[in-house]
Amino acid sequence: MSRTRFRFPSPLIVVAFILAGLITLPLLYVIVSAITADTAVWRRLWTTRIPELLFNTFSLALSVAVIDLVLGVSLAWILTRYRFVGSTVWNWLIILPLAIPSYVLAYTYTFLLQRNGPLEHAWQMVAGADAQIFSPFSFAGATLVMSINTFPFVYLLARSAFQNFNISFEEAARATGASPLNTFFRVSLPMIRPSLMAGLFLAILYVASDFGAMAMLRYQTFTYAIYQQMTGRFDNTAAACLSLFLVSCTFIFLLGERWFRQRSRFYQTTGRFRKPIPQACSPLQTLGFTGVLTIVFATAFGIPVFLLVQWTMDALAAGELASGFMGYVWNTISLAGITATLALVCGIPLAYLACRKQTWASLLCIQGAYTGYVLPGPVAALAVLVLVSHLMPELYGTVLVLLIAYLVHFLPVALQGMESTLHQLTPNLEEAARSLGSRSLRTFRTVTFPLVRGGFLSAWILVFVQCMKELPATLLLRPVGFDTLAIRIWLEASEELYQLAAPPALLIVAITIPVVFLLLKKVQEPVKRKA
Amino acid sequence: MRSQSTARILTYSVCLIVSLLCAPPLSFSGDSLVVYSGRAERLIKPVLDAFQAESGIAIQMLTADSTALVNRLRMEGKRSPADVFITNDAGTLERARELHLLQAIDMPGIEAAIPQSFRAPDNSWIGLSGRIWVVVYNTTMVKPDALSSILDLAKPQWKGKVAIPSAGSVYLQTGVSVIRETKGDAVTKEFLRGLKDNAGSSVYGKNRQIVAAVARGDVAVGLVNHYYIYRHLAKHPDAPIAQLLLDQEENGMGLVLNAAGIGITAHAKHLAQAKALVQFLISTKGQQMFASVNKEYPLNANVDAAPELLPLKSFQVARVPLSRLAELRDPTMTVIEHVGLR
Amino acid sequence: MTDATPHDNPIVLELQHVTCSYESGQPAIHNISFTARKGDIISLLGPSGCGKTTTLRAIAGFESVVEGTVLLNGTPVADGNHHVPPEQRRVGMVFQEYALFPHLRVTDNVGFGLNQLSAHDRRRRVDDMLSLTGLSEYGHRYPHELSGGQQQRVALARALAPQPVLLLLDEPFSNLDPDMTYKMRGELHDLLKKTQTTAVLVTHDHEEAFTMADQVAVLHQGRLEQFASPETTYHLPASRFVAEFVGQADFIPGEIHHHVVVTEIGDLPLPQGYQGSNQVDVMIRPDDLEIRGSGSGSARIETRQFRGSENLYGLRLESGRLVHCSESSTQFYALNAQVELKVKATHTVMFEQSRNS
Repeated sequence: MSRTRFRFPSPLIVVAFILAGLITLPLLYVIVSAITADTAVWRRLWTTRIPELLFNTFSLALSVAVIDLVLGVSLAWILTRYRFVGSTVWNWLIILPLAIPSYVLAYTYTFLLQRNGPLEHAWQMVAGADAQIFSPFSFAGATLVMSINTFPFVYLLARSAFQNFNISFEEAARATGASPLNTFFRVSLPMIRPSLMAGLFLAILYVASDFGAMAMLRYQTFTYAIYQQMTGRFDNTAAACLSLFLVSCTFIFLLGERWFRQRSRFYQTTGRFRKPIPQACSPLQTLGFTGVLTIVFATAFGIPVFLLVQWTMDALAAGELASGFMGYVWNTISLAGITATLALVCGIPLAYLACRKQTWASLLCIQGAYTGYVLPGPVAALAVLVLVSHLMPELYGTVLVLLIAYLVHFLPVALQGMESTLHQLTPNLEEAARSLGSRSLRTFRTVTFPLVRGGFLSAWILVFVQCMKELPATLLLRPVGFDTLAIRIWLEASEELYQLAAPPALLIVAITIPVVFLLLKKVQEPVKRKA
Repeated sequence: MRSQSTARILTYSVCLIVSLLCAPPLSFSGDSLVVYSGRAERLIKPVLDAFQAESGIAIQMLTADSTALVNRLRMEGKRSPADVFITNDAGTLERARELHLLQAIDMPGIEAAIPQSFRAPDNSWIGLSGRIWVVVYNTTMVKPDALSSILDLAKPQWKGKVAIPSAGSVYLQTGVSVIRETKGDAVTKEFLRGLKDNAGSSVYGKNRQIVAAVARGDVAVGLVNHYYIYRHLAKHPDAPIAQLLLDQEENGMGLVLNAAGIGITAHAKHLAQAKALVQFLISTKGQQMFASVNKEYPLNANVDAAPELLPLKSFQVARVPLSRLAELRDPTMTVIEHVGLR
Repeated sequence: MTDATPHDNPIVLELQHVTCSYESGQPAIHNISFTARKGDIISLLGPSGCGKTTTLRAIAGFESVVEGTVLLNGTPVADGNHHVPPEQRRVGMVFQEYALFPHLRVTDNVGFGLNQLSAHDRRRRVDDMLSLTGLSEYGHRYPHELSGGQQQRVALARALAPQPVLLLLDEPFSNLDPDMTYKMRGELHDLLKKTQTTAVLVTHDHEEAFTMADQVAVLHQGRLEQFASPETTYHLPASRFVAEFVGQADFIPGEIHHHVVVTEIGDLPLPQGYQGSNQVDVMIRPDDLEIRGSGSGSARIETRQFRGSENLYGLRLESGRLVHCSESSTQFYALNAQVELKVKATHTVMFEQSRNS
């Protein structure tokens, strides 16, 4: 292969570049409209909104991070280092909170935490008849809901770190005279710090970009405020300004994460790996651990889902299931299915490009495609809205706009999965493609496809689930008569019609549970290989 | 060879995308009358259902925030599928008119049914039902003479006893606009700061919740639209709640009165059906539904309010015209944001 | 068969009939007893899975003892119902993979166990340990920035810093290349002797055990086969397993006639007090034999391995058995030459005949 001759780039690469451009374009439009905004708008935001939003968002993210850390690490420690009745089952149960969309959790907690509500009554039995519990519409309420929704991120990463932890490090510490507690804080915890940080970054990003729960709890973060500016004002300039601010913050945050990750990479010195062996527990320990796990599980999954089931049954008994329910299900599933398929189709050329030798152009292209990752739902919606209104106003109000927004938002999810799958075939991907000759399609079917099938399928499923739960972009961009399950939950729950919001919520949770287990299996795979 | 197979894959992909896109229809309205509604589904759907049953005209509804719907109408322009815009705030309707999103309705009977102050001069929007912003109080906790002006709610003795709507509430925004217009920004800001302190965590997203909280005695008083009180009383006749009409003194500010209304969009594609809907809603039958089911004030002078309500004429309302609400809206939002109501 | 070298140093470590079960995933051990005196280096020798690491971990406190007692400085630290946790035993341990904390610099690794010292004393102790192990210049480095040998020295310094009563080393040379191993063995031996450290070293390499240890404990299938000095272990193995594991050993049948063991390569003296059956297998080490005269004789040279200072010959006897004999490398015999063999051993090691020999 000689490099001297100019070669026309392969169509696949051209397509990849076009796609990346299309994905980045909406964000560019938002940035331009924010930069060209009247300085008065910026001044107004700076004096009335930005400081408060910064404080709210940061303090919430920070407190959620601390709680996530405590919960995630201690649960991971219990479940990797101890063996007791049910410990394997708990391993599966404890990540189930990931199956509840944040806004569903939030709406069950607006019920649980209301004045004279169930939790306040329970608390009054402990603390006296006049005792009050915090309001769901407060910092504490938002912290509670977001931390029980996100701690599994930290848990999962801490767990795999603890499982891959070479137990000799702990024994070495014990042998030099460190107590178990001392060993935990001076050796185990610092050594899994990179994993913890990854989990925390994930959780913080999740908190900062969450719309549904924040809106239900009326806790003002950037993401929620952007939505409010879009729906409460007659022009989108303020929303664009806030979006630019948020996206820049996220970008800096991600750069910081990358820097930190590179700096804190630990090098395991050579040698054999000894897995920690879970310790058998005394009945008392078993009781204690089971108690802690039960409380966490009940708070984060058990009670909310129990409520959903109860409300659903109430609704069914009263015959109040919305008449169009099956229509909403169909809308949701077809929309999510189409988006997932589109994301895979669009992802292939990009993932392929990512797996080739990197040039600055391809790098730019891939990073561009990943921008959706840093865009919270309302921003993605705003971006697409602004773009469509400038370039293709005739599309507005059609399902296409919604599809584009989903694609911008969720392509990174698909891309991540596909990229790692394709990487497994990289070295000979192109050579193989070249030597395939006329039977290329057959070879693709018999060789390449079976190899990538699993990875592509799980990418498809992940996008599907994300779309199914998507709220803000759907709210802003859905066509007339095209309500999804998430929209129904939102409309009913914001009227506090708990019974009516429950059936769609329960359905989403039920569909998401198997996907969460798929995620767990994916996390576990590398562990198995090493052990 | 390679590019041939790539091309083939591309062709397949394109086919796939196209076929998938064709699966769900691009537009869902079809022959139905499309209604953009900024009102809670619960409050407007029964009336629309009644219309649908009577006229046989199918209705497709899109529920969202009023302002978001105006933005949407603007962006959709000529292509908008919407035929009718219904919302709970006359200010929003007026803004839509200013933006040329609505068309003048030339229809006999409107002038006779709806007083001039409750519709646009060219009838591009028409008020359907009125609501007053009042204080609901718990009759076991508060004496009715404890308050004379809404501004009193900011006084320290009400700390922890007031429930208020969230900043996103159009009613609150309208109320604040009226106070600003009457008393000026400085007084308004001070009032809002005091109100915010007094309410603490008793900020509710829905008027219904405020009424329920007052009925339970969680708080002593709350700021709501009047009909939520009567809807609550219709369900729970023994609830210890009542409404308090403030600022009724001579030359006082008066009550904040707003109207929910309807407009036909500038590019309506089902004009006849849209007019039929308007006709139905201003008719005695439609108006009676607003009166009896929703406990709102019917704006058709020939239809009486629910018997338990004080007649609309019996109290003093603020002298801020409904059409002014539109222009007051944006600066009001800024004041609210500045004080930091949530 | 324990021939404790009598000396006056106090006993530091004593295992009395120690048994650990398989439960923890480590090989089980049964009824292990031995003692180590101050300054002794004990080597636990055996093939993988024999339980030598389990024994080490039981001493350290990472395995619980089911039966028997482990005593440190005369105090029981583990028996069937009592277990002193590892951090309270004052036992230093060097792990096979060193287990240096990757998030800490060398100085912090070495100072890890010195928490109770003041900052000043700690720094001094760390400096002492670093200079003792020749690492003074590397204090600021992270473990992954060091070579294998340096890492091992850090591990050693870390284990020695808190002045443990006993140092445990788990196959400390297995991660080093052969040249380095050779060098480090010498360094470690000198260091342990210089610091008068009592040490237990686990290895599967008998040469390593012999060069390092004062006493060798040979383990086989969880049982202690022999506990003796390297010399005794080599020359007077307690079992056929030990005999074969610690060096080249051939067995030829012999019969006892009038206080002499008669074999096909000659008569050997009968060990005093022998009371077993008359049919025995005699262990022949390569250095027990010498080749006398070539050209005629009953043994045929079949193989030859040149080993630098010596040649190892494989000789086929008339009976078809193969024995090995080492000769100075200056002595050269051609392959297939017929030679005569003479036994030069002054003692005889023999075992009752087993069926398949």
